[in-house]
Amino acid sequence: MNTLFVRWSATVLVLGLFTILSSGCVVPGDGYGYDNGASIGIGVGYYEPYGAYYGGWEPGYRAGPIYGHNYRSAPGGRPIQHAYKPASRSGPVPSIPARRHNDNVQQRHSQ
Amino acid sequence: MHPQRNSNLIDSIPPDKLGPHKMQPGRARHFLRQALLAALFGVACVSPVMAAPLLPAIIEPASQEHHVGKLIFVELVTPDLASAKRFYAGLFGWTFRDIQAGRTEYAEASLDGRSVAGLIHRDVPAGEHRQPAWLSFIAVSDVDAAKTIALQHGAKVLFEPHSIPDRGREAVFADPQGAVFAVLASSSGDPPDVLAEPGEWIWSSLITTDPDTDAAFYQALFDYEVYELPSDDGAEHIMLASGNYARASANPLPANRPNVHPHWLNFVHVEDAVKMAEKVVALGGRVLVEPRIDRDGGKIAVVADPLGAPFGLLEWPDTESKEVAK
Repeated sequence: MNTLFVRWSATVLVLGLFTILSSGCVVPGDGYGYDNGASIGIGVGYYEPYGAYYGGWEPGYRAGPIYGHNYRSAPGGRPIQHAYKPASRSGPVPSIPARRHNDNVQQRHSQ
Repeated sequence: MHPQRNSNLIDSIPPDKLGPHKMQPGRARHFLRQALLAALFGVACVSPVMAAPLLPAIIEPASQEHHVGKLIFVELVTPDLASAKRFYAGLFGWTFRDIQAGRTEYAEASLDGRSVAGLIHRDVPAGEHRQPAWLSFIAVSDVDAAKTIALQHGAKVLFEPHSIPDRGREAVFADPQGAVFAVLASSSGDPPDVLAEPGEWIWSSLITTDPDTDAAFYQALFDYEVYELPSDDGAEHIMLASGNYARASANPLPANRPNVHPHWLNFVHVEDAVKMAEKVVALGGRVLVEPRIDRDGGKIAVVADPLGAPFGLLEWPDTESKEVAK
């Protein structure tokens, strides 16, 4: 048997196996990198720091969406500087989608 | 080349049998046998990985829709997957498909055939006092570009951008105030902009120390239109919108909860917030904020599952189109 052929074959096999094992057992071996998250204490498998207490929402505390009314602050006051760029002053504040899943399917079929 | 190494390999071969490129047949067979054994070992090690099912796509069949800035997926990490599945199945009627991804137990939650969430089992890290949470995935078109922008604006990368077959590319960040969220460039497109059915995620709120500064951060990241809303409590409440739809609100931490850390809170659409809050308790969960009237007839509550993961309930009146004319 040709010695060079055997040596080349063995070398290729070993290198190939090393590549497969090092990638296969580290990256996808625990579900597409979840171990990466574990190793830094957070990640896709994410735990909140303890202490996310809720409650204490006063009566005026509003967190939900609105209906697209003109909800802007009353004009005439002193302009407030914001860190963000406010949306343009014309038009109402957007709301959440109102179209239903079935409407969407029907719309696709009619196209 | 070290001459001694070659002589070690062939020193047992009689010189008269030693050709320039020949190996003793017995030694060659031994060499091949070793290589084959190594190959078999490698295949045995890798095959479970190769056979592991992929995480499901965000939307099937795939669409061409993309809605940057929209909440498109949520994942719960929990130390008791079976208990969590019982709870959410009982509460919302979700069904589950178990996926063993390597050593990770993953359950895909669906409602009426639509994927609504992913649940991951993971033990709480030893010695750490942590609680389960729902992680928000917000749509982007380019995760790596999002990482660059996030870092430029004061965020931290908690989970580097990485690709998941069939799902897309994702990363996890902490915003400048510390609220944790994920970005996802879905390879199957984003879910359509439709009203969430009961049992589906309908809304998100960022509850943070500085809504103004955080709104600027998320505006840079998702190109949000930012609206300040008048409030009854004197605090700054902000609406974040994209694609002409409201995507989330940014709210201050309640004044009497100064030690709460900033976080995202996602809401599930329910038909009756009061009844669903009662059902949460009956299933072993807790009510954290009692059902209350919110803006425009909406009613919200904040609850926690039996393992402590908080989420919101939003009763949203069924009305005609609330879409704002473009």
